[in-house]
Amino acid sequence: MIPVVIGITMLVYFAGAAAGNPIDLLRAGFHNFRPQQEAQLIAYFHLNQPVYIRYLYYLWDLLHGNLGVSLNTGRPVAQEILPWAWTTVYLQLSALALAVAIGIPVGVYSAKHQYSKSDTTITGVAIFGYSMPTFWLFLVLVIVFAFDLGWLPSFGAASNPPNYWWGNWFLDRVAHLILPMLVLTYVELATFVRLIRGNMLEVLRQDYILAAYASGLSERTVTYKHALKNAITPVITIIGLTVGTALGGAPALETAATWPGLGYYFVQAAGSLDIITVEGITVVITLMVLLANLLLDLLYGVIDPRVRVR
Amino acid sequence: MDALLNIEDLRTYFFTEAGVVKAVDGISVTVDRGEIHGLVGESGSGKSVTALSTMRIVPRPGKIIGGKIIFDGTDLLSLKENEMRKIRGGKIAMVFQDPMSSLDPLYTIGNQLVEAIRVNNKEKSKQQAKDEAIGLLEAVGIPEPARRFDQYPHELSGGMKQRIAIARALSRMPTLLFADEPTTNLDVTIQAQVLDLMKDLKQKFNMTMVLITHDMGIIAEMTQTVTVVYAGQLFEHADTRSIFLNPKHPYTEALLKALPRLDMRRTLVSVPGNIPNLINPPSGCRFHPRCPYAIEICKEKVPQVEDAGNGHLVACHRWKELSLVGV
Amino acid sequence: MTTQEVAKEKVRRRAATQWAVAWRRFRRNKSGIAGLAIVMAFVIIAIATTVDPHLLPYPQRSTESLYQGQAGQPPSWAHPFGTEPSGVDVFSDSMWAVRNDLYVGLAATGIAVVLGVLIGAVAGYFRGYVSQAILSIIQVFFVIPVLLLILFFARIFQVLVIHGYGLTLIVLILGVFGWSGIAFVVRGQVFTVRELEYIQAAKALGAKGSRVLLRHIIPNILTPVIVLGSLAVAGNILTEVVLSYLGFGDANVATWGTLIAEGEAFGASIYWWVAFFPGLLVVICVLGFNLLGDGLSDALNPRLRE
Repeated sequence: MIPVVIGITMLVYFAGAAAGNPIDLLRAGFHNFRPQQEAQLIAYFHLNQPVYIRYLYYLWDLLHGNLGVSLNTGRPVAQEILPWAWTTVYLQLSALALAVAIGIPVGVYSAKHQYSKSDTTITGVAIFGYSMPTFWLFLVLVIVFAFDLGWLPSFGAASNPPNYWWGNWFLDRVAHLILPMLVLTYVELATFVRLIRGNMLEVLRQDYILAAYASGLSERTVTYKHALKNAITPVITIIGLTVGTALGGAPALETAATWPGLGYYFVQAAGSLDIITVEGITVVITLMVLLANLLLDLLYGVIDPRVRVR
Repeated sequence: MDALLNIEDLRTYFFTEAGVVKAVDGISVTVDRGEIHGLVGESGSGKSVTALSTMRIVPRPGKIIGGKIIFDGTDLLSLKENEMRKIRGGKIAMVFQDPMSSLDPLYTIGNQLVEAIRVNNKEKSKQQAKDEAIGLLEAVGIPEPARRFDQYPHELSGGMKQRIAIARALSRMPTLLFADEPTTNLDVTIQAQVLDLMKDLKQKFNMTMVLITHDMGIIAEMTQTVTVVYAGQLFEHADTRSIFLNPKHPYTEALLKALPRLDMRRTLVSVPGNIPNLINPPSGCRFHPRCPYAIEICKEKVPQVEDAGNGHLVACHRWKELSLVGV
Repeated sequence: MTTQEVAKEKVRRRAATQWAVAWRRFRRNKSGIAGLAIVMAFVIIAIATTVDPHLLPYPQRSTESLYQGQAGQPPSWAHPFGTEPSGVDVFSDSMWAVRNDLYVGLAATGIAVVLGVLIGAVAGYFRGYVSQAILSIIQVFFVIPVLLLILFFARIFQVLVIHGYGLTLIVLILGVFGWSGIAFVVRGQVFTVRELEYIQAAKALGAKGSRVLLRHIIPNILTPVIVLGSLAVAGNILTEVVLSYLGFGDANVATWGTLIAEGEAFGASIYWWVAFFPGLLVVICVLGFNLLGDGLSDALNPRLRE
């Protein structure tokens, strides 16, 4: 684990260093600074030291929770990204929760009725789901539901007080959440349905399922207590990966929806070559992914006794 | 002769993408109360599917499309699903071939035994069920049953797992037990133990058993009656002695010839050819491509099941004229 | 013939029939065939437009319709997908984009596959520290939100490399960041195959190490790589679309992402066709590769009952 974390920080830092030193980037990003400030900047970024020393300074800062200072705003990155991070998190978590809640039962149903018409339809709808660019689907839905029908807002996570959608600030946020969340849910759901269906089909072929039926257990017990539990472990791994990409903030979807989240913020930062912020967000998200995967590995151990270390 | 199970002209087909697999295509079996009945055939002969059909747990895309199955006076195929469920595990039980995969790897064996004991019996407390389960483990010869109760399948050997599978099958004292190749996947030394155990339990629990196998040696040791099936059809049926001493079907003779014997100087003869394609079975008698006695009519007409006397049934056009060699 | 020659002959014959069996199974898979058809259709369009640039009514990024008074028009016979307010014919540009997006998707996947197979094979073949070290590297690339890095590097190249920035650079970026999934799987396969009994049997018969590698390990790697490769093309096309949508791609060439972005910029409420049709083509194209990948997966990894 530790080597992976070190490796990640190294990759991020050296990739950033390869992109150019902060001074050049500031200039290229059209930020102006006075010549006197140049000396300060050089000292601040330790630019007169070789790369590997600069990396060590960076690592030290990281370990103290210091993600550096944004080239754009001059404020500490760690603070800057918090509100954006929250907006992404609640969008992604609600979408994920819904996707899991719908995806698993649908996948189970699809597997038990293999070859039936509903199974083919479900599989077809699912495969469309993960062939779609999320931001495009969002645009299409916005054209229909926001522009043509006017039922839902077309951008942003919230509106300002007099223009609240649906009455109060909470429902206003709910209204704004619906379209982006549905798009995300659909795409994630597509993966889960296919995965669960595939695993269930495998598991349902096993002898212990047949033996469970032979013992007289009910359809429900066999399907959920035995089949699903066995089928779900790879799904847990995928949920872990999805959390990772989810925290990546779906930059395109957030941009299309003008959703003020981490992905949207990242695009702005990358656009203005604010490498410090870019590195900061990348590192933070990667660490969150690792954490999520660690937790999921533990969950794996709870479910599958063969994996536990005695 | 009291028939506990009477299967009449059973047909179970699998509707796959590649075509319709006629796994069981007109098999009839009569199992008498209290006997060990052997069901013999190569893989793909339909013997397992017959058992699965009786319990109505044939997996998709399989379907029972014809025939009658009368168990203890009841037509099983006419029962509603929830009534059939009561019979599974309760009156009829099954032990499967591969002990490695017939127990759910995610639950302790105690959990799975208690689960089986408490089917349709929720009034029994978990503690009571646990005591019963430990008793069952003892009965099947598991040492330290209380400790094993909390172990997971992957912590146990194949032989022990099979004993546990047997314990689970017997947990509600069924009248009829199907044992589908119960010892095929076990070491030879364990095989003998498990077979003895099964004979023993059959006595103790007063059960009837259908032993499915391809091994004629096991048939000789364990069974009273034998039914020989091939490619989904019935070929011969008789008491064990008659089958061995006086087989009337060429296939049975071939099976007997394939038995390795230490006391006779004979080359090992395997049945030549391959198992037939069940989607497109050979015309007429399905054994004709591999049968050393086949004649024209064997290719054209499906042989009817005829009684050769004393309940010895055979499905062969030439049974009257052939004198086949037993052991 | 010696036992060795007989064994080699059997392996060769069996290998030949393995592919034949897989092909037959693939033919029966309707969605796989549909996927293949879609992919071939797109490939044909790409080749045709490259060979004969006059096939399409308007050149790439041409704003001619403006001068014909046809800018900002909804779909019609003359302009099946409508026109942008800037004068670009959406249909022509969408078709030009086939070539560009397919190029990125296929080339990036090619690089990723080559890198992935090499790194994965090395990681799987050797034991001990080398293998562990490489595994760690693979894991790093696997865990990092690669899209973010891709976006950043694309932007850097866009700003700092004025001349010659184009699809090829995007291809390189996608390839360099996209190999970890393949490497992981290849490593696993090499690992497993290395230990298989028939490898040891072949070695016992006297087969040379390299021969063992070629005859046995390569076919076993091919299967998952082919499947992953097809799915990777789908993924890379989607990534390219995101890239150009966000403006980090090359705006001088027609790509679906650029068109969608323009559709949104011009006002999706009025000029819906500009964003809609290119996106639809993305869905169909990606769907094609996904169906193909699934079909190949079913054909090459049989899990049939009975």
